Amino acid sequence: MKLTRREFLRWTMLGAGTAAGAQMLAACAPAASGGMTRMPPPAPAPGATYLAVARGGDDPEALVRRAVAAIGGMERFIPKGANVIIKPNVCTAGRAYEYAATTNPWVVGAVVKLAREAGAVRVRVFDNPFGGTAEDAFATSGIAEQVAAAGGEMEYPSAMKFVSVDLPAGEALKSTIVYGDVFDADVLINVPLPKHHSLAQLTIGMKNMLGVVRDRPLMHASLNRKLADLNQFLIPTLTIVDAVRILTANGPTGGNLQDVRKLDTVIATHDGVAADAYATTLFGWEDPERLLYVKYGAERGIGRSDLENLQIEEIAVG
Amino acid sequence: MAEKPRKLFQWKDRYWRIVRSAVQALALALFLFLFLRAVRGGIPPQAGNLFLHLDPLAMLAGLLAVKAYVKGMALALLILGLTVLLGRVWCGWICPLGTTLDLFHPRRWKNKQPSIPEGARGIKHFLLTVILTSALLGSLWLMVLDPLTILIRTLTEAVYPALDRIIAALEKALYAIPALRDPVSALDRVLRPALLPADPAFTAGGVLIAAFFAGIIALNALAPRFWCRYLCPLGSLLGLTGKLAIFRREVNADACNNCDACARVCPTGTIRPDRGNASDPAECTMCLDCVSVCPRAAQSFPAHVRPAGWNAYDPGRRQALAAIGAAVGGAALLRTDQYLRRDLPHLIRPPGAKENDLLSKCIRCGECVRVCPTGVLHPSVTEAGVEGFWTPVVVARAGYCLYSCNACGHTCPVEAIPPLPLNQKQQQVLGAAYVDRNRCIAWSDHQECLVCEEMCPLPQKAITVDYSEFSGGAPVVDRTRCIGCGTCEYKCPVNGEAAIRVYAPGRDSV
Repeated sequence: MKLTRREFLRWTMLGAGTAAGAQMLAACAPAASGGMTRMPPPAPAPGATYLAVARGGDDPEALVRRAVAAIGGMERFIPKGANVIIKPNVCTAGRAYEYAATTNPWVVGAVVKLAREAGAVRVRVFDNPFGGTAEDAFATSGIAEQVAAAGGEMEYPSAMKFVSVDLPAGEALKSTIVYGDVFDADVLINVPLPKHHSLAQLTIGMKNMLGVVRDRPLMHASLNRKLADLNQFLIPTLTIVDAVRILTANGPTGGNLQDVRKLDTVIATHDGVAADAYATTLFGWEDPERLLYVKYGAERGIGRSDLENLQIEEIAVG
Repeated sequence: MAEKPRKLFQWKDRYWRIVRSAVQALALALFLFLFLRAVRGGIPPQAGNLFLHLDPLAMLAGLLAVKAYVKGMALALLILGLTVLLGRVWCGWICPLGTTLDLFHPRRWKNKQPSIPEGARGIKHFLLTVILTSALLGSLWLMVLDPLTILIRTLTEAVYPALDRIIAALEKALYAIPALRDPVSALDRVLRPALLPADPAFTAGGVLIAAFFAGIIALNALAPRFWCRYLCPLGSLLGLTGKLAIFRREVNADACNNCDACARVCPTGTIRPDRGNASDPAECTMCLDCVSVCPRAAQSFPAHVRPAGWNAYDPGRRQALAAIGAAVGGAALLRTDQYLRRDLPHLIRPPGAKENDLLSKCIRCGECVRVCPTGVLHPSVTEAGVEGFWTPVVVARAGYCLYSCNACGHTCPVEAIPPLPLNQKQQQVLGAAYVDRNRCIAWSDHQECLVCEEMCPLPQKAITVDYSEFSGGAPVVDRTRCIGCGTCEYKCPVNGEAAIRVYAPGRDSV
């Protein structure tokens, strides 16, 4: 194709005009923080299991299936045709799942399968690693492979998809920038793994939501209050804690097998605060509210930390 | 008499130009393909260096400076051999910079030649002599003038990041239109990270590198392939080798009607109408444009045994001595740079590269910068002194050395950065981190942070937490463990200069 100078200029102007027009159109559109399409997590019927814990065996998928079945099955959380985002913890590249720095790939795969079986049309798995590229992290964690095998897609973080949001109820966090696709999803499933973390003490589910925030280093001042704000604003529909392995020291990046404990445990509940409260017991904690973001979450009414008053079902698998 | 049957295809001399352009386009395409894909495309990083290994200047200068053979250097013999056979074929048919210059061939030179004194052709020989003499003295600082290093550096630190910014801006604008979200998202997934960086790339003086390149392009306005005619040290090396070329251009005086068409189209202006349209094989790039335009098929390429003659602009004893003197004086002067008395505190080199070693091994090609997935390597502007100009340095505020990556050492074509196995690279000390307690918000303002500790990628973290002064904890570096990867410095939320910084380990202590 021979392009004359005139034609080249014409196309350039057209392209630039389109881009500029798009910016202007976008400015007219309602701001992304206008409202959330996602339904709040459905509370269990009176007397039904509030939180399920499956333990034992060597098959992470079985643990996920049993735990989710015990709280009413995935159909309780996923309407047919839903657009689902699953948020595992894939914080860094270069660590295989054995190091318990990233969520177990078979747990993530099982959640994808359950979501598909429940009738979700689109199931995507998203995280924004701080160490290395997302491509490397998704591959070395083994998650990309299991997600593809389960019929889901990886959502690779893309700079253009972050949106500014206001948190009207926020105390320490009034506004931030989050990943738009997570914000827009019909169903958000949080799939963290419990790890040691010096500042927060433990990183579990509520802290895993930090992965959707773009500028994370700035979040660390008053981290626990900001986590409560964030989890009040971006409420996961369902939390499935992968405690197949947990990391007890040198977290959240790990890298030392001596710091890993294999527990073959999966926790499932609609209540992100209760999930974290229960997970602290895996580290031998007696008072979950020593984890300040759990304490603040309970105080705000985002969820409950009084494990002794909850209907908890323990399931032995395998 | 029966009519001769018409052949389906009849070769015509003017097809040569088409064939050459096609080969040039293919070579440039291969170069760009390797540039883009030799990291993530499943091609081993070593293969990305094919062109550099073919580059006789880079390999010869490297050999002279290192005084040892490095794997892959012998590939350059292919190009030298080709030159002994056919002359500067590299320049006319293969060199990606030469092809790029052809793309910017201004129309004003169509059918005429610029008036630049022939003596200017000697500049490139002077540069070559300085480069090779300096190399022998252990300094490769003028390798910034090798055509491939120019092109790779420009693509890596200027074209690619700028293109990324332009595409990102367009994507963002289009993504804002709801109807276009899915297609733009799909397009982005094709582009990133396969072709464009996942995160916005930052450069060290990309404008400077772009300006240098723009200058070379602009010189084309003075004469077609100005760079190749007068300045290119690789062109000089191949030209001088090309004096020996066995097959070289000759004009058959009986057939030639002195129309001078060949002289007018010659891109290096070496065809001289005043000498029966003869040319200098040291200047001829074997582009065959002259064959394509000749109405009388008056040119042939017979075999020769004797080398071609010397011209006035070719290097004489005096010029050679001047060049050698300049190289010796320059090398001596470079060694007086005041930073050599005290090491530069912020001069951090890629993993395993030793300072003295690097200066005499690095050919300034920028391949390490190209493959670095986290954007921590940059061509030095001021960090490494004058001699270290455009050698790779770790700029931890721009990126961090990824714990699970050893791509730079495995890509370096001359092993100036050693090809360390990953487990060895993970213990390789680049420098050491120090907390600046006056700037650290945990130490000085008692604010919760510990980002550096959180991000430290070592299995046994090199940053520990001190709770004695602030109950939220403040970072302390255990320098018996720290490898100086710079993750802490990169992630430190303090604005501007980080409150935790990696300092160089000292010239000989690595």
